[in-house]
Amino acid sequence: MAHRRSRHISVTEPSRTTMTRTTAIAEQLHYECCVLLELYKKKESFTTDVLVADGRLVTVPPPSSQLDTTDKLWRLHSALLQCSSLLEIAIIKEEEELGGGKTGDYESQRKTVKERLSFLLVSMGELRKAVDGSVSLTPTLEGLKLDGPTALFELKLWIYRIFEELDYWTKMVISTLQGLSSVLAKERARTTRMRSTRNARR
Amino acid sequence: MPHLSVSTNPQSKYCPVWLICVILSLSVVHTHASDVLRVPQQVTLSTNFKEQQLSISWLGGAATTFDIIILRTELNITVFYGTVSVPLDQVSGLQRWNWTSAEPLECTSLSVKVRSRDGQETSEWSNTQNLQGSDLPSNEQSQIYPMNRVVPVGANTTFCCIVKEGQEFGYIKYGNAVVNTTRLSRRSYATTVVNQGPSHQSGANVVCFDSLTTLIVGAVVFVGYPPLLRDFVCETHDLTSAVCRWNVRDPKLYGRRRTKYTLNMRNCLDEYEHVPQKKCIVQQWEGNWTLLAVNPLGQYRLTDSAELSHRVYPVAPTKLRVDAHAWNATVHWQWKYSSYFTLGLVCQVELTCHGIIKNFTVSGVGLQSALLSKLQPNEDYGVRVRCGAQQNFWKWGNWSQPLYFKTKTFVPDPPDLWMWINEDNTGQVVWKPLNRQSHGQIIGYEVTVWSREENVQHTHTFPPDAAAAAIDFTQIVTSSNDTKVTATVIAKNNEGSSQPASMVFRLTETHTVAVSRTVYENSGFRLSWQSDANTTSDYVVEWHDSACSRNCPVEWIKVLTGITNVTVDSPNFQPGVRYTFSLYSFSSEGRQLLQRWQGFVQELVPSSSVLLSASQQDTDVVLTWSSIPQVNHRGFLLGFNVYNSSGSELKLIANLTDKEIRSYTVKGLSEGTHKFTVKAYTSAGEDSGATASITLEPYIDWLIFELLTSLGVTALFFIIVTFFCYKKRKWVKRAFYPDIPEPKLPGDWSRTQGPLDVKPSSHSIIQIVEKSDQDSSKEMLVVIPEEDEDEEEHGMGDEPVDTDEPASLRYYNQVIDERPIRPRYPDSSTSSASSLDSGRTDVTYTGIQTSGSSLVFQLHPAGSSEDQQPPIDVIDSCSGGGGYRPQCNNAHVASHELFNEPQAYASGGYKPQSSWHLDSPTEAGEVGGLAPSLGSPTSVASTQFLLPDGERHEEEKQASSSASTWFTNLLSSSKP
Repeated sequence: MAHRRSRHISVTEPSRTTMTRTTAIAEQLHYECCVLLELYKKKESFTTDVLVADGRLVTVPPPSSQLDTTDKLWRLHSALLQCSSLLEIAIIKEEEELGGGKTGDYESQRKTVKERLSFLLVSMGELRKAVDGSVSLTPTLEGLKLDGPTALFELKLWIYRIFEELDYWTKMVISTLQGLSSVLAKERARTTRMRSTRNARR
Repeated sequence: MPHLSVSTNPQSKYCPVWLICVILSLSVVHTHASDVLRVPQQVTLSTNFKEQQLSISWLGGAATTFDIIILRTELNITVFYGTVSVPLDQVSGLQRWNWTSAEPLECTSLSVKVRSRDGQETSEWSNTQNLQGSDLPSNEQSQIYPMNRVVPVGANTTFCCIVKEGQEFGYIKYGNAVVNTTRLSRRSYATTVVNQGPSHQSGANVVCFDSLTTLIVGAVVFVGYPPLLRDFVCETHDLTSAVCRWNVRDPKLYGRRRTKYTLNMRNCLDEYEHVPQKKCIVQQWEGNWTLLAVNPLGQYRLTDSAELSHRVYPVAPTKLRVDAHAWNATVHWQWKYSSYFTLGLVCQVELTCHGIIKNFTVSGVGLQSALLSKLQPNEDYGVRVRCGAQQNFWKWGNWSQPLYFKTKTFVPDPPDLWMWINEDNTGQVVWKPLNRQSHGQIIGYEVTVWSREENVQHTHTFPPDAAAAAIDFTQIVTSSNDTKVTATVIAKNNEGSSQPASMVFRLTETHTVAVSRTVYENSGFRLSWQSDANTTSDYVVEWHDSACSRNCPVEWIKVLTGITNVTVDSPNFQPGVRYTFSLYSFSSEGRQLLQRWQGFVQELVPSSSVLLSASQQDTDVVLTWSSIPQVNHRGFLLGFNVYNSSGSELKLIANLTDKEIRSYTVKGLSEGTHKFTVKAYTSAGEDSGATASITLEPYIDWLIFELLTSLGVTALFFIIVTFFCYKKRKWVKRAFYPDIPEPKLPGDWSRTQGPLDVKPSSHSIIQIVEKSDQDSSKEMLVVIPEEDEDEEEHGMGDEPVDTDEPASLRYYNQVIDERPIRPRYPDSSTSSASSLDSGRTDVTYTGIQTSGSSLVFQLHPAGSSEDQQPPIDVIDSCSGGGGYRPQCNNAHVASHELFNEPQAYASGGYKPQSSWHLDSPTEAGEVGGLAPSLGSPTSVASTQFLLPDGERHEEEKQASSSASTWFTNLLSSSKP
C-alpha cells in the first residue's frame, strides 16, 4: 500500500453503473458460495465440530478508515485474486487427490462459483478502472501459499477454508461497494447543492 | 558345561566298551543341548510401517524354536507372546521372524524380547529391544495413524490418535459416528473399525477430538475393491488399428488411488474414471493383447487374441443420398476409410414408412449403394444403413444417420367400387376413398353408368372428396326387364387417370334371404358360408346399420374365390347398433345376394321403454304395451319383465320370454291403487322401464248383490221376530207387561185400579211442609189452598208457572236415595204436567221406564235455569214439619212444580222399591236437608217400562219414547 499513492475519486455515471453491476455479481457469488459450502460439507460429512476457524488464507493489508476508495477497491481486488488462485489450486488438488470427472451437484456448483468469480474479477477491474482511471499496480499473488497440505484430511479442511475465504471476501465486496454507493450519493448531493448555491450567487 | 570324560579299562573287554559307548553318547547329547539353548544375541528390529509389520532378527545358534514376547513399552502390556519355529537363514546366519501389528507401529513404543526353547527348557530372555513410537515426549504434536490408508471392503482397520502434550483426549469419530477407543499409552488412543463398507469418492474421515470437542487431528481412509474386469475384446474399425474395450466393476477408488490400465505394457488413458465401459486404442493390430489393471488393492489381468479380419467392426456409413422414383429408389452412401473399398461387406438397409419397418440386405465388395424396390408412389420413407464384414462376420457396424425421402407420384389405382340399390330403383355408386392408392393428389372421379341393352350411358365427374354418386336407374333403364347395368369409376390425379373400376349389376336383384345372427369376437364378426364349387366368382361382404334402409353408408370388403370365411371389423362399428352383413357373389354377369347376418359389436340395454297402459277387467288388470322401435333395441330383444312397483321395490310378476307379447293380465289384485312396470331386456340387461298406475274400483254388480242380500236377511229377521212375538204374545205380556196388582193403601187412599192419576181439587195443592217441631228432616204433603197459591203467584211476580194443569195435588218424592225414581213422560219431554204429576207419586213399578221419558226428580234446583230458581229457603221452611201437610201454604213450592232436567240423577238408574228406607235423619242431612220421607210409598200402576238410566240426550229420549210408545201400543193391541 505504501508504494501506491492516494487519489481523489471522480465518480462518473459509468462507474456507478459498474459498481452496481459488480455488487450484483458479488451478491450472486455470495449466494453461490453459500450453496457450495453446504454441498461441500454434505459431501465430506463435515460436522460443526470439525469446521474450526483457523485464520485467513488471503493476505491483504488490514482495513482502515484511512483508506480511500481506490485503496479499498484495490484491497478487495487483491483478495479476490488470491481467492481465485486458491480456488483453482484447490480444484486441481481435489481432483488429483480425490478424483474428478464426476458431474454431481457439488462439481457443478464449484464450476459455477469459479466462473462467477472470474466475472467478478473482471467487473472489479472495470470498476477500479472507472474510479481510478487506469488499472495500475495490479494486485500480485506474492506471499500466497498455494501448495496445500499433503495430508488428505488437512487438504479437505484447506479446501473448505478456501471456500469460506471466498465467501468472506465476497461479503466484504458487497458491504464495501454498498458503503461506497451511499458515500458517493451523498457527495453527489452535496456537489449538486454547492453548484446550485454558486449559481444562485451568480 | 557338560564335560566329556573318557576312561579306559583293559580288564573288561566288552562290558567296559559298551559302557563307554553309552557314556559317550550321553555326553554328546548333553553337549549338544547345552549348545542349543543359548540366549539369542544381536536382536534387531526392522519395520514396515505401511504393512504394520515388525521384523525381528537375532542370532540364536542352532535352536529352531524361540519364545517371543512383545509389549507396549509405556504401559508394559503384552501384545504378543508365543513360541515360534524359526529356521536358520543359512546366508546371514540369523533367525528372522515377522510380526504384523493390529495397530500402526507408530501408535506407541514396543519392546521385544526373545529366548530359545528346547522342549520345556528355555534360555534366558535376550536383551529388550525397543521400537520407538510416535508418542514419545520428544514428539509433542498431535498425530493420527494410519493416514491416507486404502483398505479393501470388509477389512478391519485400527486407528490411533496421539494427542498433543498437555492435551486431554476426547473421542474419535469414524465418518459421523463416535467409536470406542482403547488407550495404548499416555498419549495414544486406538480404535478399530471392523467390516468397513465402501467409502465414497473422497474417502471416509477419521477425526480425533479432545475433551473440549475440539478437533485435534484427522485422517482419511479409502475403502474399495481391487480391480475386476470382464468383456475384454479388441476390434478394428479402420482395418489397421485396434480398439480394445472392457467393462469394469467400480472399485470405489478415485483420483490418486484409481485403477490404472496398461494394454500390452502401454498405458491407457482413462479420462472418465466413473464410466464403467473403458476403451484403449492401439494404432497397430497386434493380434494378442494383454490388459493389466492395477490399483492400491490389487491387480487384474485379461488377454485377447484374434486376426484382424475376424474383428472387423465397420463404422457407420456417411453422407447418405437417395435417388427416388415412383416405385423404387436407390440409396447411396460413403465410407470414412478407403480400406473398405476392397472389403467384402454385407449391409442392412432399414426402410421406415408410417412406422412400419422393412429391412433389405445387400452385399458386395466396398458396397456403397442399395436399390430399394416395391415402394409406393408419393410416399414418405426413412432409410438408414449399417454394414458388417461379409466374410468372418464379426458384428454389425453402427447405423448411419437416417435419411428421409419421398417417392414420385403415379397414376391412381382403380377405386374399390360397390353399388347400393334402393327398393325404388334408385341407388348410389360408392367407392372407397383412395389414400395410398391415389399415388398423388386426386383431382376428381369420373363415374359412368351405362346399359348395353338400352345403349344408354351417363357420365358424371365428382370432386376428389366424393365417395358416392346417386343414381336414378329409371332414367337409364326404361324397361322393367332384367337389364344389366354397368357402373365404372375412374380416379384422376396429375399423373393421369386410373384404370376403370367396373361393376355389373341387375335391377331385379333379390333382397330377401334368410337372416342369421352373428357374434362379434375379439377381432371382429366372423362370417362363414358354404362354398359353391360351381362358382368361380369373387365374394363381397357388405355391411351397414340395420336401421338404415335408403342410401345407406355402406362398407364392404372383397373376398377372393375359394375363401369361405372372413372376419369383419371396422373402426366405424358402434356398440348398440345392429349391423346387417350381406354376402354377395359377383361376376361379370352381376351380383347375387347369398346370405345375410345381423349382429352387434356389443349389445346394450334398450335405449327407450315401451308405452305401457293398464286397464281393469273385472278384478284383474290388463297391461298392454307397444313395441320398442328397432333402432332403440340396441341388442337382440329377449323378452319383457313385468314388475309390481306399488311398493318401494320392484317385485317381479312375470318374465315374458316371448318378445312378441304385448299384453299381460295381472290377477288376484285387491282394491286400491297398483303400479306396474314393464321392462324390455336384452343380453345386456333391462331398459329403464315404463310404469302404469291403476286404481281398482269395487265390482258394482257384486256390491248391489251384497246390499240386497243384507236387506233381505234383515227383513226376514224382523218378520220372524214379529211372528214370534205374535205367537208368544201371552208370554211376552207376562214377562214384560204383567198386571199390576192393586195397591194396598192404609187409610183413606183410594183403591181404584189403574194408573194413579191423582188430581186433587183444583183449589188445593199438596205441599211438603217442614215440620220443625216434629221432624225437621221430613217433608210432608200439604194441601195448599188456592188463595195461598194466588198469593204465591202474586208474591212471585212474573215467575213462570205451569198452567197446563189446574192446581193439582202434587207429590214430592221423599228423597231417600241418590238415584231418584223418575216420573214418566208418556209422550214427550214436553208432555203435560199432568203426566208429570202422576209420575211424582211414589210407586211400585213393574214396567220398564226409559230414561228420556222418565219422571224427573229435581234434587238440585240450583242446577235449573235462572227463572226457575228453586226457593231453597222456602223449601227449608217447609221441610221442618214432618208428615203430610196440605195446609202448608208455600207459594214458592207451588210455583215450581215443573223442574228442569235434573243433574244429580246421573248417579242412579232404576231403583226398585226395595230401596225404600225408613226415615233417616242422617240421609236427610246428606241430601241437603230435603225431607227424606213421605211416609209409606204409594203404589201406582204404570204403563211405562222402567229402563236403566242410559243416554241422556234429548233426541235419544225422544226416539226411545217413540219406540217405547210403539212397543207399548203393540203390546196393548195384543192384549186379549
